[in-house]
Amino acid sequence: MSNPKHDKGEHYLLTPKAEPFLERLIFNNRVLILVFFLFLTLFLGYNAVKIQPNASFERMIPLKHPYIVNMLKHRGDLDNLGNFIRVAVGVKDGDIFTKSYMDTLKHINDDIFYLKGVNRSGLKSLWTPNIRWLEVTEQGFQGGTVIPDGYNGSPHSLEQLRQNVLRSPEGIRLVADNFKSSIIYAPLYEKDPQTGAKLSYSELSKRLDQIRAKYEKQNPNIEIHIIGFAKLVGDLIAGIQYVALFAVITILLTGVFLFWYSRCVAGTMIPLLTSIIAVIWQLGILHLLGYGLDPYSVLVPFLVFAIGISHAVQVVNAMALESAKGFDPLTSARLAFRQLYIPGVVALLSDAIGFLTLLFIEIDVIKDLAVAAGIGVAVIIITNLVLHPLVMSYIGISKSGVRHVQNHDEKVDRKWRLMSFFSHPGVAPISLLIALLGLGIGMYYKQDLKIGDLERGAPELRQNSVYNQDNAYIIKNYSTSADILVVMVETPKQQCTSYPVLHAMDALQWKLENTKGVDSTTSLANISKLVTKALNEGNFKWYELSPNQGVINSSLREVPSGLINTDCSLTPLIVFLKDHKAETLNRVVKVAEAFAQKNNNDQYKFVLGAGNAGVEAATNQVIAKAKDLMLFFVYAVVSCLCLITFRSIRATICVIVPLALTSVLCEALMAQLHIGIKVATLPVIALGVGIGVDYGIYIYTKLEKFLLEGKTLQDAYFETLRSTGRAVTFTGITLALGVVTWIWSPIKFQADMGILLFFMFLWNMIGAIWLLPALARFLLRPDRMVAKARAAAAKS
Amino acid sequence: MAKWLTLKTFGAVCLSLTLAGASTVALAAVGNVLDTASMETTLASEKLLTDVAHAGKRIVAVGERGHIIYSDDNGKQWTQASVPVSMLLTAVYFPTPTQGWAVGHSGVILHTGDAGATWTKQLDGRQEAKMVISQLEQQMTDMQAQEANAPESKKRALQDSLENLKFSLEDAKSDEKVGPWKPLLDVWFRDAKYGFAIGAYGLIFHTDDGGQTWHNWADHVPNPDGYHLNAIAQVKGGALFIAGEAGTVYLSTDDGMTWSSVKSPYGGSFFGALGTGNVNEVLAFGLRGHVFRSDDLGKSWKAVPVDADATLNSGVADGKGRIVLVGNDGSVLVSSDAGQTFRSHVRADREALLSAVLLNNDNLLLVGEQGTELAGPDGTGKPM
Repeated sequence: MSNPKHDKGEHYLLTPKAEPFLERLIFNNRVLILVFFLFLTLFLGYNAVKIQPNASFERMIPLKHPYIVNMLKHRGDLDNLGNFIRVAVGVKDGDIFTKSYMDTLKHINDDIFYLKGVNRSGLKSLWTPNIRWLEVTEQGFQGGTVIPDGYNGSPHSLEQLRQNVLRSPEGIRLVADNFKSSIIYAPLYEKDPQTGAKLSYSELSKRLDQIRAKYEKQNPNIEIHIIGFAKLVGDLIAGIQYVALFAVITILLTGVFLFWYSRCVAGTMIPLLTSIIAVIWQLGILHLLGYGLDPYSVLVPFLVFAIGISHAVQVVNAMALESAKGFDPLTSARLAFRQLYIPGVVALLSDAIGFLTLLFIEIDVIKDLAVAAGIGVAVIIITNLVLHPLVMSYIGISKSGVRHVQNHDEKVDRKWRLMSFFSHPGVAPISLLIALLGLGIGMYYKQDLKIGDLERGAPELRQNSVYNQDNAYIIKNYSTSADILVVMVETPKQQCTSYPVLHAMDALQWKLENTKGVDSTTSLANISKLVTKALNEGNFKWYELSPNQGVINSSLREVPSGLINTDCSLTPLIVFLKDHKAETLNRVVKVAEAFAQKNNNDQYKFVLGAGNAGVEAATNQVIAKAKDLMLFFVYAVVSCLCLITFRSIRATICVIVPLALTSVLCEALMAQLHIGIKVATLPVIALGVGIGVDYGIYIYTKLEKFLLEGKTLQDAYFETLRSTGRAVTFTGITLALGVVTWIWSPIKFQADMGILLFFMFLWNMIGAIWLLPALARFLLRPDRMVAKARAAAAKS
Repeated sequence: MAKWLTLKTFGAVCLSLTLAGASTVALAAVGNVLDTASMETTLASEKLLTDVAHAGKRIVAVGERGHIIYSDDNGKQWTQASVPVSMLLTAVYFPTPTQGWAVGHSGVILHTGDAGATWTKQLDGRQEAKMVISQLEQQMTDMQAQEANAPESKKRALQDSLENLKFSLEDAKSDEKVGPWKPLLDVWFRDAKYGFAIGAYGLIFHTDDGGQTWHNWADHVPNPDGYHLNAIAQVKGGALFIAGEAGTVYLSTDDGMTWSSVKSPYGGSFFGALGTGNVNEVLAFGLRGHVFRSDDLGKSWKAVPVDADATLNSGVADGKGRIVLVGNDGSVLVSSDAGQTFRSHVRADREALLSAVLLNNDNLLLVGEQGTELAGPDGTGKPM
């Protein structure tokens, strides 16, 4: 790591007086470097401002998974299927058959009709002309719109309306089972058919909220519930806007904490400044590389800031200690730099490489996250290990800061002395036993750990969010499900309605309906049965697929859009699930896949899988596959780095074992908090390990230094705690503070990330301070270490 | 690199192992409904059931996907029977407590000898198509012979009939090619040997040996337009009625050997026929809540005023004046005067009801769109 030419093969810690080349290079050109950094910051800052929020659906899904490949292949054919909004207009008192309700409904219907992005011809509500009632008569069919001719809101016409709704199959589907609400169903255009402009989800979502507010105010007996992918994305984008608030809170909290820690204005402001500069550089570089900020990678600036602060604190701490010895600011800064740049670089490199293991997951948002975090950490090496001591070399630690270190030092020596007993031969075995116990408990509880989303409703948002409450309302009152798996049935052209195809779909549907977790299914087969029945005077004894193609063709003359593509080579089989738990998804896709494997032939091919459940099943599979691989590499990488730095397997074990314990406990915590392993939480596992290793590296570096000076383990550890213990505890707390605000994010996965990172940052710190010395007691042989280092020194 | 490769290979092996585990889920291929046994399911009693009948004390119901279920505790718990086919079954009939027949789509006729627990196929549309064709061919040969020997004056008419027969034969042959698709819609047996199955487009088959051999009986029913024959029922006194599409009604007073067309009171379709329990009295009912009553074997009919307009599908009589008719939209009509007047009830769920049997205390077991339902005497409340 250190430059061999200037090391002359000596162990770097044994020659504290030597000035490494890098140090000379930096501290001899202070002005030049500062001016360069200033311009760089201006340039990158200009770019950082231009970075765009970006919530692309495609980046959140595993594009290479066969389900997704199939889904995207047929995207044009299935377009209308997924993208719609449902607005349930409910009454608080009474039922929907009142004049006031129907009037409000009409106005809302009209407002939605004129919304940008709504496919007007597909709009359905009690007020649209496409909702008709139908009756079999002796002469054939008789029907009309459900709103009776000459409707005037009188009790008579309302009664007529009720009758019409009851005999309209589509009408009855728009009305809640308890007649206390009805649905306005609006399919959306992804792209404006005239202008080709992309639909703005956040705009649409805002308009819908305005409609909601307007009519709930106008008619207090009305409640409005809105769901649909567009609304969900709109709410997500709105949720991201809290990020700015979180950023401010984080910076303030960190500032207060920094000041409390350093009692020095410069020691507070400069770390904040350099860490913010790190964020600016990171965002600027991201923008230059063509990246945007999505709801996942928006977490990274917080991490970068927190990591930056934690390293800056080491600098401030080291400088204060040196200043307390009487050195001037420049010398203190140089000494601090000299102590810190190797462990700092190693720690940051291990962070960065840890993040890069996320590239194993074939989901673009996670890859973006890896790149963003990797860049951020690389940037910190410059801003907080170079820029920070440079700036401080001019300003220095204030007198109050130095005094604080001195006073503090004496006051808390007793505390450190006490904590140094963690390395005591009597205490260490107990610690190890506790750790083993913790491991056992963690292993036990993590058995419940699941892959995927575990809660009902839209997993992106919280259970008590407006959207999920709306969703719960609609699921409760309508025979419908929000979790949809679409099996696509590919056929030769013009064959999608042939009897063999429908018969096979019917067979799979029945298998699926008999599978736990499936609520219902629908496809052309159902429609054919239903219409065949209707065409036979509504007699249920005809509710069957006819092997006679002529009968099928007449039953499918009018098919809802989205169930047949233009050249009739594709038809979807839609599966409504009871939930989107990973085990449910697994069970269901297994049945469908086994069926496809057994029955696919040249007449039809069943392929998975579209719909939100299809996407989620694919995502789960990708994550399940990547999880262990990623963990393995993260640990491999940090272990290698430790090995390279410390040139000792024993040292590496001392650093890595506490991390592993944290990983296990984190998984147990996830299981107990019902947080599944998913796109949002898998990166946390890598981030936690990557960042957590920093503590161990800082502690071990110091510990080794004092051991090599010939101190006993407990004394060495006492000195370690005295010098860097404060900084490490502080680092744990700042890192935790950096993410803790996320726990209040309206976006569920951000909150999950916040909780887990909070836990990992704090617990890794505890692991480093408590478990590392205990392990050291069993693993390190101070005599041999000293002898070896001496021998190395003598050889040169 | 090597390490990478091994790891990837290891991962791939793990993945393929998992997949191998997954693919052991056994599934039957998508076979013909006539050759594929009905799948075992817990949902049979919640899905479409089309008919229900008593087999002694046992209750047996039939429905979609070859479901046949039976209950020995008056409809509380159901057991699924073993059935060799998986199409929609449309009717079931037990002339004795153990011997029963069920019919359905693709012309299937099923038989049970153990009160509905296991069923075997006696006939299906493939054989029926051959029977129809061979009968038409026989008729053609007969008629050609007749024509050859007929005087000039009659030749013309015979040639026309021959032409019609030819068309029918072509139809039948093309049907055979399509495969069996015409449903049978009802079945009735006088005893364990002697019965009829009727269905769409004028299908009617007869057996007098318990179904070991079936005969095409179409030439015994004057149904030149091939109307659907929807229901067959015997009234007290022994007469048989068939009710069908577009108001057709046929009567037989010789156990179905010969059938005659009855002048119909109605142009819409009848879906049910039912003896009231009084001699020679019959109800015919169907589309849009129409009910007609005749007490003279169909010579004259009276419209029964009914306060309901949902199509009526089926009915049941206790022989002592109590009659229950059930229909679409949860419609239940109850008469206590042998069908002279009805009180109309509508079940709250408005699901279609296809058939019913009477239980103790005048309670009802209903079957329909959503499976089985136990109900009180008027079809709406809880059983008493």
